[in-house]
Amino acid sequence: MLYLELFIQGIVQGSIYGLIALGLTLVYGLLRILHVAHAALFTLGGYIGVIVTNTTGSFSLAIVVAMVAVGLVGMAVYKLAYEPLLHRPPYIALIASIALFIASEEIFRIVFGPFGLSYIDPPLQGQIELFAGFRLKYGEILVMGIAIVMLSALAWLSAKTRTGIAWRATVTDPEMAAAFGINIQNVRYLNFFIASALAAVAGVLVALLNNLVEPTMGSVPSYKALAIIVLGGLGSIRGTLVASLALGVIEAFGTIYVGHLLDRDALAFAFLILILMVRPQGLLGAK
Amino acid sequence: MAYEITLLTTMAISILFALSLNFISGFCGQISLGHAAFLGTGAYASAMLTKSSIPFLLTLPVAAIIAGFFGFLIGLASLRVRHDFLAITTMGVGFLFVGIVRKQDFLGGELGLAGIPSPDMSRESFMVFCIILAVIFAIFSLYIRRSWMGFVFESIADNEDVTRILGIDASRFKLAAFVIGTAVAGIAGALYAHHFRYIGPDSFGFVQSVSVLAMVIVGGVGSVWGVAFAAAVLSILPLLVQFIDDYKLLFYSGLLFAMMRFAPDGVAGIVQRLYGYVRRKS
Amino acid sequence: MRHFKNKALAAFSIAAVFAASLVTASADTIKIGFNAPLTGFAAADGASARHGAELAIEQVNASGGINGDTLELVVYDDQASPTESVPISQKLIQNDGVVLGISGSYSGATRAAAGIYQENSVPYISAFAIHPDITRAGNYVFRTSFVGEVQGRAGAKLIGEMMGLKRVVIVTLNNDFGKSLEAGFREMAERFGIEIVGQYEYGIRDRQFGPIVSSIKNDNPDAIYASGYFFTAGPLVSQLRAGGVDAPVIGQEGYDGQKFIEIAGAASEGVIITTSLNRDSDVAETRDFIAAFEARAGYPADMVGASAHTAVMVAATALRAVGASDSAALRDAIAATNLAVSTGTITFNDLGEVQKDVQVQIVRDGNWHEHSVISDADLLAPPTE
Repeated sequence: MLYLELFIQGIVQGSIYGLIALGLTLVYGLLRILHVAHAALFTLGGYIGVIVTNTTGSFSLAIVVAMVAVGLVGMAVYKLAYEPLLHRPPYIALIASIALFIASEEIFRIVFGPFGLSYIDPPLQGQIELFAGFRLKYGEILVMGIAIVMLSALAWLSAKTRTGIAWRATVTDPEMAAAFGINIQNVRYLNFFIASALAAVAGVLVALLNNLVEPTMGSVPSYKALAIIVLGGLGSIRGTLVASLALGVIEAFGTIYVGHLLDRDALAFAFLILILMVRPQGLLGAK
Repeated sequence: MAYEITLLTTMAISILFALSLNFISGFCGQISLGHAAFLGTGAYASAMLTKSSIPFLLTLPVAAIIAGFFGFLIGLASLRVRHDFLAITTMGVGFLFVGIVRKQDFLGGELGLAGIPSPDMSRESFMVFCIILAVIFAIFSLYIRRSWMGFVFESIADNEDVTRILGIDASRFKLAAFVIGTAVAGIAGALYAHHFRYIGPDSFGFVQSVSVLAMVIVGGVGSVWGVAFAAAVLSILPLLVQFIDDYKLLFYSGLLFAMMRFAPDGVAGIVQRLYGYVRRKS
Repeated sequence: MRHFKNKALAAFSIAAVFAASLVTASADTIKIGFNAPLTGFAAADGASARHGAELAIEQVNASGGINGDTLELVVYDDQASPTESVPISQKLIQNDGVVLGISGSYSGATRAAAGIYQENSVPYISAFAIHPDITRAGNYVFRTSFVGEVQGRAGAKLIGEMMGLKRVVIVTLNNDFGKSLEAGFREMAERFGIEIVGQYEYGIRDRQFGPIVSSIKNDNPDAIYASGYFFTAGPLVSQLRAGGVDAPVIGQEGYDGQKFIEIAGAASEGVIITTSLNRDSDVAETRDFIAAFEARAGYPADMVGASAHTAVMVAATALRAVGASDSAALRDAIAATNLAVSTGTITFNDLGEVQKDVQVQIVRDGNWHEHSVISDADLLAPPTE
């Protein structure tokens, strides 16, 4: 029974990883940039979520506001930070992204204070008893629900709509796509909007689960999401999903059974290195 | 003078450390996001030895050999994964290093190692010693860059596949870059441990790895003088800007971002452009 | 060349005049150095520590300063890092001419700085860093807070003897703080009849404890001894309660502060901690501090703020006794401290470790309140060498 509980806890954690890492994969797929500052947008989502909920009392409004606002900020990040660096070696954008991330942590601290913010009256605090003695918070169920909805929506968008086709074409061959009349710039904006909005949702939900947003909330996603997209095979959406869930489950069991030998981060990276030595292209990456 | 001596020693160690990464990432084009692990390996190895009364100077080669050995293993990994995959693998190595050290009681575990003995020399001579080591490695780097090895490194950084097609055993050269770079990082670690005389797992984490990579890139990837200059400035920048208090890290990260955004070829690039400008003027 | 010489000469004379003006200006100010993490991950504690220390300075100056001289705090940000704190200490001693240093920072930064102060024979007081090796840097280094082990032992007595709970799960934060608490707790567990039925570890960045909660529920303990700071303990306690674990949670000074209660909400009710600040104290010094801190900082007093306040008060009292001119005398005066302050009555042992009672606080109706006091001198004996 404990195993099942740990497994489900792992899936919950994996869903959060998934929401964050998916946006990162979208960015990587299109621009080949390791977008560390994605974690800053995740934190920003958390702050907006808490502030809007506390001032208006509506959690659903907070989610929508966070998604739209952070989506727009994400587009601005692309325009101001990444676009001018696209023709440079990729590590330039990486360091720029890291600098942006550190700066954002400091800005959050200076603007919102070092202690972080909490929901005054946290929504969705109820629980459902799944089976004898095992309860999940509404918040945790919402995390999994939103992850499924968002991912299905994304799958549908990319497979069935004109926008999705344009997006996939641009990923595969930007020059050819441009030749066919696709506005690459718009595809990139849309890409950053969606990716950032996903991070924002994750931020709002994590803020809810912890009842805390703090300036350094993005520090774990900043590197672990990178590990996940690499594990998934860089640019592969399905791979990212599998890697997120796998990592969530491995960390859940690892924390309990090998936590005295390796901490959570080291465990995740041990798994990553192991996989990459066997499959250098990642779990579901194309060689 | 003690304060200035500490600053200069810190600078010299940072220069040595940054140049060691420059050897791998700058010359050979292999981006590493876990280089602090090798600084840590050298620091722990050397501190453990001097704590059991072995003379400091004797611990330097040991620190270099142990760090270089681990560097060799990472070099092997770099033969298997490339580019962004390699960057994240090395980042993983960094986390693994910290994660393992945390749990080793004989290395002090979470408490780290305190009371590391002084390196049998005055602070002044230690500073001179660190500067000499940094200068020697800078000269060695300059020499290598002009040698056949440096030429191969450049070609690997440029396009590894083409290098292989030319019939050059790129693997051997990549391994050499990793071993030399990490061994020197190990020496820098030994200096670090005996300069600050306290080390703990958090002294060698992701933040340190990112900082040293930032030094290399701000300096201008591959440029020995640029990287040395950037390492010297960035290592003591937080101390120089103490007066802006709350905005210190914001300033640092803002500067870093502006540098990438407006001068991505680093200090070396700026100097080169200035030089070109001056020449055209005259 | 001549031109350069003149310039250098001019620069030198300007510097000399400047230095001279500094000396005259500082004739009636006594400087205390202060390093704390004002930026970076530990900035929250740095902010509280700074409020506490500056409050103490204001109070000292308002009540006549140091025999007529004004006390000044020279504050530098060390980002809780040894690589920053070492040069900072040297700068404080050499360039700022501080007569004494205070650490409002964490263990790594404090341990590294302690060596510098010792080398220069300038007294250094650690406000709340817990690393046992800090005071071992030498006879000029003091600590006004408990080492982790002492607090861990107090926790064992609290759970095993005073609360009478025997089956205990330990949740350890993976850093020097958590590890030394665990060591102290384990050392005394047997003596108080405690059986450790489960042991978990987590990292300082972890906020999601689902797997640990599930496994603790499976262990079904009488009590949970969990180390952490408010930002880890808040989510941990709320997730424990939501997951259906009702066993009492016993924490330490890292939980101390209003923010913990804000994060954990209703789940924080009944959480008990060992700390240094008693909110319901009838001691005048403590009551005054609690009121003055909230007025200054805009949020309720916490352990970190109280500890920094305490350290400055200890320093000021010693300075009043022997003046600032002789650092050996100043050291001796600190060693002989016997002072009632916000965190209790402070005396030091030969190693420079504080001897005082442990305050036990419990959350009731959304505030910290007195639960009990542990004053077992044997149990709370700090290390002596």
